[in-house]
Amino acid sequence: MTGITLAVPSKGRLEELTREWFAANGLVITRPGGARSYLGAIEGLPDVTVRFFPASEIARELIRGTIDFGVTGRDLIHETSESGPASVSIAKPLGFGNADVVVAVPDAWIDVTHMHDLADVASDFRSRHGRWLRIATKYITITRQHFARAGIAEYRTVESLGATEAAPASGVADIVVDITSTGSTLAANGLRVLEDGVMLQSEACLVVSRTAGWSARRKARLDAVLQRLGTSAGF
Amino acid sequence: MDPGLRRDDTVFVGVMEVTNPALRRANLESLVEAQGACRATPPLLLSADPYFDLAGEEFGRRLLLTTDTTGAEYCLRPDFTLPIVKSYIDDGVGEPAAFSYMGPIFRQRENGPAEFDQAGIELLAQPDGDVALDQVLTFARAALSIFGVAPDIRLGGVGLFEALLVQADMPDAWRPRIRNRFGHPEAMNRLLTRLEAAPDAPRGKQPSRKALVADITEQMVAAGLSLSESRSPDEIADRYLEQQALDAAQVPPATLKLLRDYLAISGPVLQALTQVEALAAQHKLMLGAPIRTIRRHLDGLGEARVAFDAGFSPRLDYYTGIVFEMTGPRGDILASGGQYDRLLERLGATAPIAASGCSVWVDRLEAEVSA
Repeated sequence: MTGITLAVPSKGRLEELTREWFAANGLVITRPGGARSYLGAIEGLPDVTVRFFPASEIARELIRGTIDFGVTGRDLIHETSESGPASVSIAKPLGFGNADVVVAVPDAWIDVTHMHDLADVASDFRSRHGRWLRIATKYITITRQHFARAGIAEYRTVESLGATEAAPASGVADIVVDITSTGSTLAANGLRVLEDGVMLQSEACLVVSRTAGWSARRKARLDAVLQRLGTSAGF
Repeated sequence: MDPGLRRDDTVFVGVMEVTNPALRRANLESLVEAQGACRATPPLLLSADPYFDLAGEEFGRRLLLTTDTTGAEYCLRPDFTLPIVKSYIDDGVGEPAAFSYMGPIFRQRENGPAEFDQAGIELLAQPDGDVALDQVLTFARAALSIFGVAPDIRLGGVGLFEALLVQADMPDAWRPRIRNRFGHPEAMNRLLTRLEAAPDAPRGKQPSRKALVADITEQMVAAGLSLSESRSPDEIADRYLEQQALDAAQVPPATLKLLRDYLAISGPVLQALTQVEALAAQHKLMLGAPIRTIRRHLDGLGEARVAFDAGFSPRLDYYTGIVFEMTGPRGDILASGGQYDRLLERLGATAPIAASGCSVWVDRLEAEVSA
């Protein structure tokens, strides 16, 4: 097989912005079946197959190597697998979908402004409260890596797939690790980002799988497409 | 039941001809059986919660997890120590006990999940912790010698560091903060660097505790937070005031230098311990007892290459006394263990109970031979 597969977010603002970005670079992505179809093409490039996927699945499939390149968030590459960043190459940050993965604590925790304060609080939380400090997040991999680097081991994560910012008030967790672009949702829920609490700055990126089977011919096809987009695979 | 040192087993193993994989494994099996201990065979499928509770998320990410129909989490056995110690506690603690084991454990690795064989011993509530640790070290060395490995041994002194920390000149509130970072060089370095920096500019007048508690309570109520389920207003106010006091009560520069100098000590054990003694003399610290304890174990280690690394400790705070790692020529850690007198309390025992043990990585030992 010599064709290559591009994965594009399947819906919403992210799909729109992705198609606009490709169009601005002279490649028009078509979706003949409309929003219910998951197969598309690029005008004038018959050997590129376009597939429409949710962004989190794009990250997963790029890491596994079942699709060749695609648009997804940097956060999803880091979250999907610890080996995610090593399994792909970021060909180009696209300048939209910007958001930070942050650690936020209740505003009322006036004694906690930095990660090192959190380390202190976590270290004796168990002896004070008979349980571990609980962190609500959908970013379990990123949280574990970041907290390990900060030397914090004494906590539990509580998986939260939506409305993470409500977890402290509902008693599900004590603090959160969440994604935010302006911080306003966190602030509205009485949460404050730690001064050194930005764990990852994310944005939509054009990402190339390193694990896809790259024959010389397929790699040449990819390089040609990337060149038209003003970038290269980086490997 | 005190099996003592059983040096006869070591000799027995030492003279066996190392010929083939099956025989080596059989020899290891007999070594495990010969520990005068109960052979422990905990189930392969275990509740995951105790692991998260004991070791936190950092270890949790290494588990192979599955859930039952109610959503309760289980894991494939990731180690032997925890199920052995838990069942010992459940059976009613107090009696000295010894357990040995050999079998598969399961952990996530960078390149995918894996099944490994581990062998080891656990010595619980033994009357003499020194003798127990000697037996553990002897077991580990005997296991390695079956595979023809004369290891490099790295010793860490958790008890030694704790003794130093208790005596070092600093405000009390800093001691637990420093202890908490022992065994994590980057976090320790960040803390010491922070303490070495000039103190913050003096803050404004301290609010009264009462006013603080009232403010915090008001904020928590406004945000819909429970005042009792998580951190309470009192706890937050106290720690806030403590932080303010800590900014004023800096750790003296001489103490920071002592900690830096101490944690940097690493090298051949006799040389390193001499450095520790010199540092102790310079700072008028009484570290004789923990240093002598380490020296006592050296006799039993004979000709092995032994290093002491002052900053070396597992990150888990239930370790006490002495900890060790044995590495082979390829640099892999082949055996690790030590003393963990706080483990049983952490798992629900009502009083401290002496514990020591080690585990040996059988697959890595086999790789040493085939290399």
